[in-house]
Amino acid sequence: MTSIRLTVFLLLVLALVAIIGTLLPQGEPLDFYLARYGNSAGAFLWRFRLTQIYYGPWFLGPLSLLAANLLACLVHGLPQALSRVSRPFTGEVAAALPERGRFSWPAEVDPHGAVVTAFRQELGRPRRLVFPDQEIYLVECGRFRPLGPYIIHLALLLILVGGVLGKFWGLTGSLALGQGETAQTFVKDPRRPEQALNFQVRLDRFQVRFYPSGVPEEYRSDLTFLQDGREVRRAICRVNDPVSFGGLTFYQSSYGAQPTGPIRFKVCRGEDCHPVEAPWRRRVELPGGQAQIIALRLEGDLQGLGPAVQVAYKRGPGHPQIFWVSQNHPELAGKPGSPFWQPDEYRLTLTDLPFRYYSVLQVKKDPGVWWVYGGFILVLAGLFLAFFRSPQRWALILKKGEDGSWAGRLLGSAPRAREAFGERLTRLKERLKKGAGS
Amino acid sequence: MISLTLGGVTLAYLIAGLLFLGAGLWAAPRLQRLARALLWSGLAVHTGALLGRWLQSYSLASQHQPPAGFGELVRLVVLQAPLSNFYESLVFFSWCLPALALISFRRRLEGYLGALVATLACLLLAYASLGVDSSIKPLMPALKSNWLLIHVATCFLGYGAFALAFGAALLHLWQTRRTRPELPGRALLDPLIYQATVIGFVFLTLGIITGAVWAESAWGRYWSWDPKETWSLITWLIYATLLHARLVKGWQGRRIAWLAVFGFLAVLFTYFGVSFLLPGLHSYLT
Repeated sequence: MTSIRLTVFLLLVLALVAIIGTLLPQGEPLDFYLARYGNSAGAFLWRFRLTQIYYGPWFLGPLSLLAANLLACLVHGLPQALSRVSRPFTGEVAAALPERGRFSWPAEVDPHGAVVTAFRQELGRPRRLVFPDQEIYLVECGRFRPLGPYIIHLALLLILVGGVLGKFWGLTGSLALGQGETAQTFVKDPRRPEQALNFQVRLDRFQVRFYPSGVPEEYRSDLTFLQDGREVRRAICRVNDPVSFGGLTFYQSSYGAQPTGPIRFKVCRGEDCHPVEAPWRRRVELPGGQAQIIALRLEGDLQGLGPAVQVAYKRGPGHPQIFWVSQNHPELAGKPGSPFWQPDEYRLTLTDLPFRYYSVLQVKKDPGVWWVYGGFILVLAGLFLAFFRSPQRWALILKKGEDGSWAGRLLGSAPRAREAFGERLTRLKERLKKGAGS
Repeated sequence: MISLTLGGVTLAYLIAGLLFLGAGLWAAPRLQRLARALLWSGLAVHTGALLGRWLQSYSLASQHQPPAGFGELVRLVVLQAPLSNFYESLVFFSWCLPALALISFRRRLEGYLGALVATLACLLLAYASLGVDSSIKPLMPALKSNWLLIHVATCFLGYGAFALAFGAALLHLWQTRRTRPELPGRALLDPLIYQATVIGFVFLTLGIITGAVWAESAWGRYWSWDPKETWSLITWLIYATLLHARLVKGWQGRRIAWLAVFGFLAVLFTYFGVSFLLPGLHSYLT
């Protein structure tokens, strides 16, 4: 379980499964796969759960093995790393480091100041140990580096735990609210009955602002939360700016427009005009009885041209034609090639389009999020330790000779960063030599 | 004005690449210095052009809705960072290459390696100028977040570092049959591949994390198996494999170079392939 071969194998297997998951459309209904890949291949994909690849054994199997592998690696290596980190850098340890240079100072020169300055400039503030026969200056950096990889692995486990918590104890759903409406339930699964909220939420106002090009600039829902009919809190929910209440979080996810009454058209055939009332998504005969229309969709601002209704128009046995009818720009109906073009001899114009916006909110509870965020912070800390804090140990042992002169031995090692160590060593030696006579 | 400046930068990168090539062929240290100086100046002008675009984007947005107060001004500046569409991301990607190479490789950026980096940056910039819509479009609501700047910047710095590792890996693999004295030695390239991979891995991790935190506040899900997310995870897994192979198993040389090549192919697919081939939540980039 601790083998690195297994780790590498699992990482590559997970990558492969994920690749399949992005190439094969995920989470569609069975009919979709049957239609797209043929009956036998579609049924095969469905049966072997390749259509829910991230939530089935194909992905979760190797992922659980990887989690076990990470755990084994932690249990196996962490105590060792901890004992390495907790071993202090003492005079004896320093004396065992490889020697990197020798220096001597004449009797009239006191080397301490020069040594401290050189160390400070190159490495950082040294520790000083005084013994009867010698003095040792010590500098250690990157002491906690051995913990880095284990912190990263621990963090990844935390993230996985967070994911499992969210999967089993979290919930997601959606809530569509018209302006002025109050909801006590939300939709968790479209095939099941709605889930009850233990409070009420009311949409006081929904606003959407558009850029001149007709692209939405911002939309927001002004919400009021009620408990037993009493207003408890008001909040504004925007995209990128969710609202939490009663253990649930509400996200502004989308919006739409719906009519509040029948849509009224003026339908003309040449000079012969009649009013027509079209209930939402119902078939209506046009005057003369030769054609029918259905009002299909409503947009509050289509392409920056104001409110418009999408209409399916059918005359005779052929396919219905689909076009938009603009409230503010009826002249567009005669423009071929535009989505507003009305190809037949009937000409529809809107006389009354009562509508309101509704807001679609995503409702969510995820107790795993903080585990995941904790994991993120630890991953970053671990990466910092593992890659930017290479361990280095330096020592300068000073001995006073009989004639009052000083002799120094520079020792040090950095097993993981030989190159950087070499550069530092050269610079440090130069600085020390400047202070010493030789 | 900015597109003209970027055209000049493209030319500077091209010439710097040729000079590096010449320096590699004739082992001329003077040419080397000249090439590096030219790359530095190209990078400086490129930085200026990025800032100019930022200013332009900001002034357009503030004309539409002038910020009230200092806090809103700062927020608008952050939001209008030139990282919000495909063109801007390409320009920033091509900026990352020489910037990371000059800063992290320093004097080891020479000869063929320098030529590769400069040419790649030149090609990316040329593609951005000639093949992509460069107009400034107003931000859609989902992109209006303080995370936009840091998420996109870290991701592309990661891509840039992986591109450097890829360049070094190519030069390494080219020498497998026989050593070419005019190329940087394999002993030099090996640590370069590793170093660039580490930088890229840290940035990619940051990019994925910031993206997850942003997704949690925008969509209510820190991970949705959107193709872009999945492919960035695939990329992350490949580079994690590389780092483990090297740090734990002590792999060096050829095998590491191949992993760096595969990793970069995954990066390219994450960036271009997903944007053009696989629809998803990140499709506003194109």
